[in-house]
Amino acid sequence: MTDRDADQLLLRLHAALDGELDVMASLEFEREMHDDPGLAAEYRRLAALRDAVHRHAPREAASQALVDRIAALASSAPPAQTAAAPTATVVPFGRRAWLDRSALAMAASFAVLGLAVGAGLTSLRTPLPSSDVAQNLVSDLARAEIAGQPFDVASSDRHTVKPWLADRTTVSASIIDLAPEGFTLVGGRVAVIDRIPTPTLVYRHNEHLVALTELPLDAKGVRAAGGVETIDGYHVARWSDANLAYVAVSDMDEKTLGEFVEAFRRGGGPATEPRRP
Amino acid sequence: MISEVAQRRFREIVPPLLDDAYSLAKWLSQSPTDAEDIVQDAAMRALQALSTVSVDRPKPWFLAIVRNAAMTFMARERRKTMAYVGDMTDLDALDLRQGDDAPPNPEQALIAHEDGQRLRQAIAGLPSPLLETLVMRDINGLSYREIAEATVTPVGTVMSRLARARAMLGRTLRTEP
Repeated sequence: MTDRDADQLLLRLHAALDGELDVMASLEFEREMHDDPGLAAEYRRLAALRDAVHRHAPREAASQALVDRIAALASSAPPAQTAAAPTATVVPFGRRAWLDRSALAMAASFAVLGLAVGAGLTSLRTPLPSSDVAQNLVSDLARAEIAGQPFDVASSDRHTVKPWLADRTTVSASIIDLAPEGFTLVGGRVAVIDRIPTPTLVYRHNEHLVALTELPLDAKGVRAAGGVETIDGYHVARWSDANLAYVAVSDMDEKTLGEFVEAFRRGGGPATEPRRP
Repeated sequence: MISEVAQRRFREIVPPLLDDAYSLAKWLSQSPTDAEDIVQDAAMRALQALSTVSVDRPKPWFLAIVRNAAMTFMARERRKTMAYVGDMTDLDALDLRQGDDAPPNPEQALIAHEDGQRLRQAIAGLPSPLLETLVMRDINGLSYREIAEATVTPVGTVMSRLARARAMLGRTLRTEP
């Protein structure tokens, strides 16, 4: 390997760590890591370093005095919003390093971009009646599958998916490693439900996908009886725990979806992580 | 006089970004009080700018203003020599290979990283271009393209700076007691 190749590989290593690779590049990189224990070890070392930075150098809160001073700068007419007021109007989707890929990838990504933004705008304008949450998530998955791009960040590393989602949503996602149970995490995306950007995890089981959206308990329409219902040919399972409500949408059969839900509720292997400060 | 439109845009955009702005300013200035002055200065610049521009991506836009306010502030105060002057070619050249001093050892690295104070010192000791890139990525959560936009730097340079920053952190943490 030439120096230049080595440099390129190292840059790709960081890009993979930061969730900046597109789907195909991620796949290729995961293969390379599988074949090269040294590369995989370097990835783990960098991931440990990044996690340590998150832990020991977290984002710090601006003081209330500063927040008040800033608010006073533009407070002539209506009272200024406080810094804590959640604003769900901005859902960044601009994070793609793949627009210069093949025409097909570009078309697919634009399609998803349009769909995602479109879905976001729709739900921002018209608050969803509670019963439509599941229907909306089913449509989301169906459209995403047709577009060939069921997630916005492609990674099987929950340490990559977690911060990506944390930056874009106000819900702290539980990300559970279910690979030992046969459900491999393949990525994450943002669904906008009832004006709230919410984290959605995408797991793969054989050729089937399951999209798991995690919602605040007080979101409309998330409380429903357990069990699996069928909407437009997709199976939908809803449940909740002490912190969050969950809606899982999948094209896998009812029994397999039940096993997924069971495994997730059990907590899979490792426990969930605390929210990054 | 600031228009009502600008004030409304400001109230939508800036308050949710204050924690990010403060964190970036604090890392760049290494001082909590300077960081507050920098953020306030940046907010005033943002309010002025919003009279004439509309903003597609608020976060990189506002953090770019914070970064520029920090550079102005530091240049005025001369507290720390910013590494923006002079030739950056050397700093941006890719020289990422770890050499023989870095056998990957995640366990050892993890243990070392539990020493948060040392890690924070190592971050603070990074040259400014590497520091701001690392902070914008790992603390502010900007994408590579957003960092490129905020720092007016090609994406390739952002990538190599980030890799260099992490390599330097790793080396510092491994070598210093």
